Amino acid sequence: MEPRESHFQSPIVTKPPFFTPQQSSSPSSAPAPSSAIRLWKPAAQRNVRNQWSKLLALFQDWCSSSSSARSHAISLVNSFLSQKYMNGMDLGVLSDMPNIRTKACQKLFKQQELYRCKLLSCYKDMVAIVTRMVNSSRSMRCYLKGSRTSPLAQFSCSSQNDNDSGDAGGIPVFTFWSIAAFEELASEVVQMFTSELNLKRLLVLELLSISDERVLQEIELHWSDEFYEGEFDDLSTCNLYLEEACEPVFPSLRSSRSSTSSMQSKHQADSDVLQVYLTTWLAEVNIDRCRLDEIFAIVGEEMHVNLS
Amino acid sequence: MEAVVKKYQQKYRKVKDEMGSWEELQARLLSQFSNASSIVQRLQVIHKSRNYGGLKCVEGIEGAVLAKQMESLQTILLSMNKTLEDFHGVVLSIEKIVCDSRQLVKGGSAQLATKQLKQQIGVKPSVADCLDGLRLLEEMHQSEYHLKLSVVSALPEIALKLSGGDGDLDALRQLLVDQPNIPREEVQLIFDMVFPEEIC
Repeated sequence: MEPRESHFQSPIVTKPPFFTPQQSSSPSSAPAPSSAIRLWKPAAQRNVRNQWSKLLALFQDWCSSSSSARSHAISLVNSFLSQKYMNGMDLGVLSDMPNIRTKACQKLFKQQELYRCKLLSCYKDMVAIVTRMVNSSRSMRCYLKGSRTSPLAQFSCSSQNDNDSGDAGGIPVFTFWSIAAFEELASEVVQMFTSELNLKRLLVLELLSISDERVLQEIELHWSDEFYEGEFDDLSTCNLYLEEACEPVFPSLRSSRSSTSSMQSKHQADSDVLQVYLTTWLAEVNIDRCRLDEIFAIVGEEMHVNLS
Repeated sequence: MEAVVKKYQQKYRKVKDEMGSWEELQARLLSQFSNASSIVQRLQVIHKSRNYGGLKCVEGIEGAVLAKQMESLQTILLSMNKTLEDFHGVVLSIEKIVCDSRQLVKGGSAQLATKQLKQQIGVKPSVADCLDGLRLLEEMHQSEYHLKLSVVSALPEIALKLSGGDGDLDALRQLLVDQPNIPREEVQLIFDMVFPEEIC
């Protein structure tokens, strides 16, 4: 009993400077009695395991949504290009049919409408996924519910007591890592996805905006528009919304934090540009798969579960 | 004599199995090649910043996308090399089978005379024919393996050229598909000769 007691009071406990600063300024706020710790540990372990397996499942959801979004985007682009080059197309025997080109164009136009909807709905799913990731990464802590002296210890995800930082004073949850260490890795994961989501929002905007010059588009979409109802609420959860400016954060790469010049509007969508959009969608430049696999592996190892 | 021919037929069955694994590897290599070439074709477009349209205002995006695609290409090339190693494994197995089959003639209890080697009983092939056929199959797969090696090693060079590699890629793909060193009809003829009873 003795060595453990001294362990969680020692300042060596790994507490990375991260998240809520008021907690790191007063580390190990009032260490709980050892009986409470004994009860806290299993509850905290269960919670941390749950949150991490949620993160993993959400990552898998992300992959499937991202890939179906990409196939809708490809269909949209193909349909758009067919429509664009309809006049130059050799229709062979069909060219004698009355109004064949106009009809084909109308059909393609309708198709594009459909693919736009599908792309948008996938984007919506992706926003929801990332929002859940953010919430999971913020729910690692485990707070004592009710009175400290109560014989029936219960735990919750929200703090009811200012003295309770939910990390039992920074003691290791399993073997080595404190709650803060888990939070730090979770936030690294989440950051990859929020910045990628942000970039994908720009791609969605560009892809939804492609249209034939001959067809007047009724609604022109802007970066500051809400793409669907409730989008901005989710984006604020993900720290991707600027309240003062009333528009989403402009995308930048995870590696370079400098915010960039304002957006230019309306771009010529030739096939090369569209190919770059599709490639950028596929490349997921903000998501480092190696690092992601590494994080899930080491976290799994620490928690004695296999996350893969 | 007939017993020896029977033994050869067994060897041929083994070669047939190896050729089955070869076909699987061939399918794998072709899909890897088409993945690699679609990246190589994209490289030409994505390394020009004027193609970034609305993404231009995201600083460093060109470099990041290019780096990611190069990374994926690298991964595919590595797995292609792994596939080539497996091809080599098949070639080695065939070589082993052929080597063993030579022992059937040389190391047998009685040395077979040249006349015996060429002796044919009914529709059954002669021992000499069996040997020749095996050696031919061995040579075909060896040469085809070397051809595949050189095709795959040409890929990175095309990728680095970053321009107008489309024709080259198509030609290389066609080479991989055709497998010119393993002519199907000839292979079929060899097997028909060894298993005359299976021709219907």
